[in-house]
Order: sequence, then C-alpha cells, then structure tokens
Amino acid sequence: MRTLRIILILTGKQLRVLSRMPGILLVIFVPGIVMYSVFTKIFEGPAGRPFKVAVVDHDESDESRKLIDALDESVMIIRAADGESDGALLTEEVARREIREKGKYRVALVIPKGFSLAPNVMSGDSHEGVELIYDETQPMEADAVLGMIQMAAGRRLFDKFSALQQSLSSSTKAQSDDTPSMLLQVKKVGVSIDRMNIASKHLFLAGIVPMFLLFGATGAARGMIEEIDSGEIARLCAAPISAVHILGGQLLSMLLVAMLQCYSMYIFAWLVFDVGIWEITLGLFVLTLITTMATTAFGLLLGAICRTTQQLDSIGTIVILGMSAIGGSMVPRWIMPEFMQALGLFTINGWSYDGFIALIRNEGFGLDAWLQNGLFRGIWLPCLVLIAAATVCACVASYLLRQRLRVGPAR
Amino acid sequence: MTPSVDRSLALPVLEVTNLHKAYGQLKAVDGVNFSIEAGEIFGLLGPNGAGKSTTINMIATLLMPDEGRIVLNDHLCSTSPQYKRGLGYVPQEISLSERLTARENLMLIGRLYDLGGVELAKRVDGILEAIGLKDRSRDLVSTFSGGMKRRLNIGAALLHKPDLLLMDEPTAGVDPQARAYIFEIVERLAEQGRGVLYTTHYMEEAERLCRRTAIIDRGRILATGTLAELTRNVKARRDLVIEAEGLTEGNVARLAAKLDNVPWSLDNGTAHLHVAGTKHTLLNAVRAADEVGLQPNSIRILEPNLENVFLDLTGRALRD
Repeated sequence: MRTLRIILILTGKQLRVLSRMPGILLVIFVPGIVMYSVFTKIFEGPAGRPFKVAVVDHDESDESRKLIDALDESVMIIRAADGESDGALLTEEVARREIREKGKYRVALVIPKGFSLAPNVMSGDSHEGVELIYDETQPMEADAVLGMIQMAAGRRLFDKFSALQQSLSSSTKAQSDDTPSMLLQVKKVGVSIDRMNIASKHLFLAGIVPMFLLFGATGAARGMIEEIDSGEIARLCAAPISAVHILGGQLLSMLLVAMLQCYSMYIFAWLVFDVGIWEITLGLFVLTLITTMATTAFGLLLGAICRTTQQLDSIGTIVILGMSAIGGSMVPRWIMPEFMQALGLFTINGWSYDGFIALIRNEGFGLDAWLQNGLFRGIWLPCLVLIAAATVCACVASYLLRQRLRVGPAR
Repeated sequence: MTPSVDRSLALPVLEVTNLHKAYGQLKAVDGVNFSIEAGEIFGLLGPNGAGKSTTINMIATLLMPDEGRIVLNDHLCSTSPQYKRGLGYVPQEISLSERLTARENLMLIGRLYDLGGVELAKRVDGILEAIGLKDRSRDLVSTFSGGMKRRLNIGAALLHKPDLLLMDEPTAGVDPQARAYIFEIVERLAEQGRGVLYTTHYMEEAERLCRRTAIIDRGRILATGTLAELTRNVKARRDLVIEAEGLTEGNVARLAAKLDNVPWSLDNGTAHLHVAGTKHTLLNAVRAADEVGLQPNSIRILEPNLENVFLDLTGRALRD
C-alpha cells in the first residue's frame, strides 16, 4: 500500500512538472497530429492513392469509363490529357516506353475494344479481360494495382446488382429469391474490397501513433537523465523509499502522458478524418495501453543506456526513425516487400501497426480464430509480443538504472 | 527552538569505521574513521577529489562501501527506512525541481517521509520560516537566486527532523551574505542537538563552524581534532609579517638567511617570512632584523590556520 502511495506521489510530481512545461507539451501532442494530418491528406482516399496508373481505353464506352472512375478512388489515374503523359497520345506503346524509360508511372491498364459487351467473368466466355502492363522490378506494385482493379470491378458489379435488385423488387417472389445468390458472388470479390478499404487515415494513424509515442517516451527519459544529473534522484534515493518507487513513479507518469498523447490523436482523427474509434473502443484501449507500455519501457531503456542527454538525443533519434521506417510509421507496411515486412516485426511500431489494422478490419481480439482454425488474426498476438517487449525493456532498464543509482550520477 | 545540548553528555550519533571505496585502481576512500556526537558540527576538509563526497554518499546509502562499518544511532548502514529516517541529506547540487514551488518541493519530500496533513503543513511552514523563504513559498524554484536555492536545499533535508545532517559543500557557489545565512542555519541545527557532517574545501568555513575537523586527502584522513589540536600537533609554519621603512629585496633576503633561509616574499612594502612556529620565533626575528639594519614599524606572527596545517601535512596548498 505504501509502495503504491509513494509511486502515486512521484507520478503526481512528474505530471505537475510536465504541466508547467508548455513547450514540451506542444512537442508531445502537436507534431503527431500535424504529421498524421499531412500524410493522410497527401494520400487521401481509400487505401491512399500511392500509385499512378496510366489507362489506355480502346473501348471508350460508358462501362469502361465507370470502371476507370471506380479505380480512380484508389489510384491516381493518368489519361492522355494529363501532364504526366507529356501531352502525347496515350497508347500501349507510349505506356511501355514510359514504364521502361522514365518510370513516371509503373503500371498501365489497357481496356480492349468491346469491353463493355462482356465487362466481367460473369459475362461468360466472351469476357476477354483487361491487360496490365507493369514494371517487372516492381511486382508488388502491380499486384497491389491488380487488387484495386478487382475492387473497382467488384464495385461496378455490386452497383449493377443493386440496380437490378431495385428493378426486380416489384417482381414475383421466386425471382426475388434468386437475387441474393447473385449478390453473394459479388461479395466474394468484396473480401478484397474490405482489405483495400483500409484508408490512408487508418494506415497513418496506425503508423504515426507508435512513432510519436517513442519520441514522447524518449523525451520523458531525457527528463529522467536530467533529474539524475541534477541530484534530484540522489535525494530521493536518500529518502526512505526504494528504486522500485522511483522507477514506478517514472514509468506510471510516462504511461499516463503516452495514453493521453494517443487519445488526443485518436480523437483528432475521429473529429477531422472520421476514423471510427468508437466502434473498436475496447480493443483500441487494450492495444493502446499495451503499446504505450512497450514504448514507455523502451524509452526508459534508452534513458538507462545513455549516460547523457546528448547521447540520448542522437541515439534515440536514429533508433526511433529506423524503427519507424521499417515498422510502417512512414510507409504502410502492406506495400513493403515481404522481407521488409518481416523485418518490421522486430519493431514495436510494426506490431502496434498490425494490431491497429486488425482492429480496423474488425478482427477484434481474434483469439477464436486462432483457437478454432489456428489463424493469426486480431490483436492478441500483437498484444502478446508488445507485452513481452515491454517486460524485457523494463527489466533491463530497471537493472541498468539500479546499478547506475547505486554508483551515483556521472559527474 | 529547542534548548542547547550539553555536549559533555553527548553520545556519538554516527560512527564510521575503516571505510573503503575504490573505483578500479583508484582508492577514493581508504580506511576512513571518525565519529560525530549529537550537537556537533564535524568538518571534513579537503581539496576536490579528496574523498569527501564519496564518504558522505556512502553514509547516505547512495554508494555501497567496499569495506567498513557505518552506524547511525545504533542502526547499521542499510537502505532500510529506519536508517534513512535518521539522516538528512543535503547534496552538493540543487536537487530540487525547478518547476515546482518551494512549498511544493517541501511537501513532496515530506510525503516521501510519510508525513502528511496538518503536521506536514506545519513543518513546511516552520522550515520556510527558518530558512527565510516564507514570503517566496509559492514561487517556482527556477525564479530563486543561488543562495535561496541553497537554503531550500537545506530545508528539504530538515523536514523529517533527522538526527544527523549530511551537508556536502552546501555553500558552493553562493555569495558571502547567503553563506553567512547558511552558517546561521547550520549553527542553529547544532544547537538543537543534531549532528552535522559538513564537507568543504574552504578552510574558513571549517574554522568558523566545526568543533572538530578531519583533514582528508586522497581518500585518507590525515588528522582529526579541534583547530587548536590540529595546529598544536603539527609543525605548522607561520607567517611572520614585518612592516618597516626601507624594506628592499636585499635586506629581506639577508633577514631570511639569518632565520635559517626561510622562504620569503615582499608585497607592497610588507615582508612575509614563513618561519617555524616555536616560542622563540618572534624574539629571533627581532634580533635578526636589528642585525640586518631594519627598524620595523611592526612585526607579528599570524596564528596558524587549517590552510597551514593542510600545507604541512600534504606539502600542497588546500586549493591546489
């Protein structure tokens, strides 16, 4: 009981000190929101629009235009009239040359003449399909665009069936019963659509939150080093309290500030970008709490390893930017090559990102999927890994700091 | 203010026996022994790096001794609350939060010693009064002068009424007025019956405040005692000061030669000769001055001080 009371006293002190540092508060809360807004605006739209796709439309029909419009929601479409095509008539040959020589875009979609007559697989054998010209060195990008084309085609199909259903609503019951089975086929395509509907506003929230949590934790660790250097911690050590109290006070205050930092970003994302944080409240709280535990412990570890604030500033910046780059905080993880995605799993950012995306996909905790089918879905695995990371970092940091406090501050 | 204690009846508050601490090959503290009585201000005088802070940090449980025994009021040194409650630690640095007010800092420290409620508020008011900061109690520490911060630094160590106060160079970097104020606080504490371990490298402070002083250098205590004992027990050299008309380097050199070639200097018409402190020194000096043709206006011997003692013991000046 006394331990908890002392930890709360020290936590209160840390928070009071922090509340009197408006500059630091600004650094903790504002840049994350600004960066999130900037990235989201840059890649606005479903799944962002990170790809440019040149379109060669030989059909020039209403059907082909609608497909292109649907695709336009996911990628940046380049047409003949765009500056990107240099004013040249966009033909297959021009697109091939552009991809081969200049690389202003790496994928081109060719819609054949007569496409509107058989626009999808449901049209039977007469469906010829479309052609995708792509840069062979960037197969991932081509795959991603392929998925987006499927998504666009699926939307077109869905729209058609919706219209069909409406027109048949006054028909016989037997006819009405047939319609749902046709719509179900469209929904199968929709699995791909669900995945692609993870928008940039989600991807960047998933990425930027852990990055700024790490920066925030490093800032708190900086404060701790300053307290060691100023002798504040030495005075505390001379009082009838233990290192556990001191570290507990540091950790708890860092954790509370980090949670506040997260929720300020979530609420901003909800208010400005309409991110549905209230639909995943419990999962989001659990994931956020565990992520903040991991980032806080990691910040404490950096503070324990670095002897001076200068060391912490330089090492911390390098480590956090490196982790953020490979962990999905700067570039969405799903468009990275596979080995980079695997490398990202060695970072707190990567697991936090995966957990957040799982929540957006409505996978929830996902334990059922694992217990029943052995599938790794939901946030349970990210949470488990983050808890392990938090525990390891906190234990090592605690050991190093206790050693350091017993030999006194560096003078 | 509690009445003064009768020092003849005082018992040791602190006993330090055979204390050792080394960092690799460097022996920071090498077999230190001393004890402090209740109501006594005990000085630990030595240059920077002598081992003063290391000694005080071991007593404050901030450092683990390699060897030795520290007993505070029958409690063996440990990180136990019982031992720590007997100690008040005033670190060399201003170890307070600059972004808290004076009152908030004291309240925080008090709570760590399990004080609370009205009792804590009363003690905080009392301390603020005693250190002369009552009217600034709600100001942030960052707005304080160096001297005010030093006073608050001391006040924070007094809240829990410790038996022994460890003061590690508490006047470092403060102006003479603030220093005098701190001296008054320390003297009042001793009058209240608290033992004080006071480290400094200013011999004036040790002479002014400390009943007994230990001279420490390179981790070893070279001598311990009152000022009189220290100056009596060592062959301290003294400063023979002669003021006379017509003093030249030539006649001062001849005078020095007659006094066994003692070191000398001539500053602004005043000769300083570093002579051995015997009872015939002054008489011999007068005779020698007459022999070299000097007619002094005044001739006097300055009493030895701790600076002389340190020089005599180590061959180095205290501030070298």
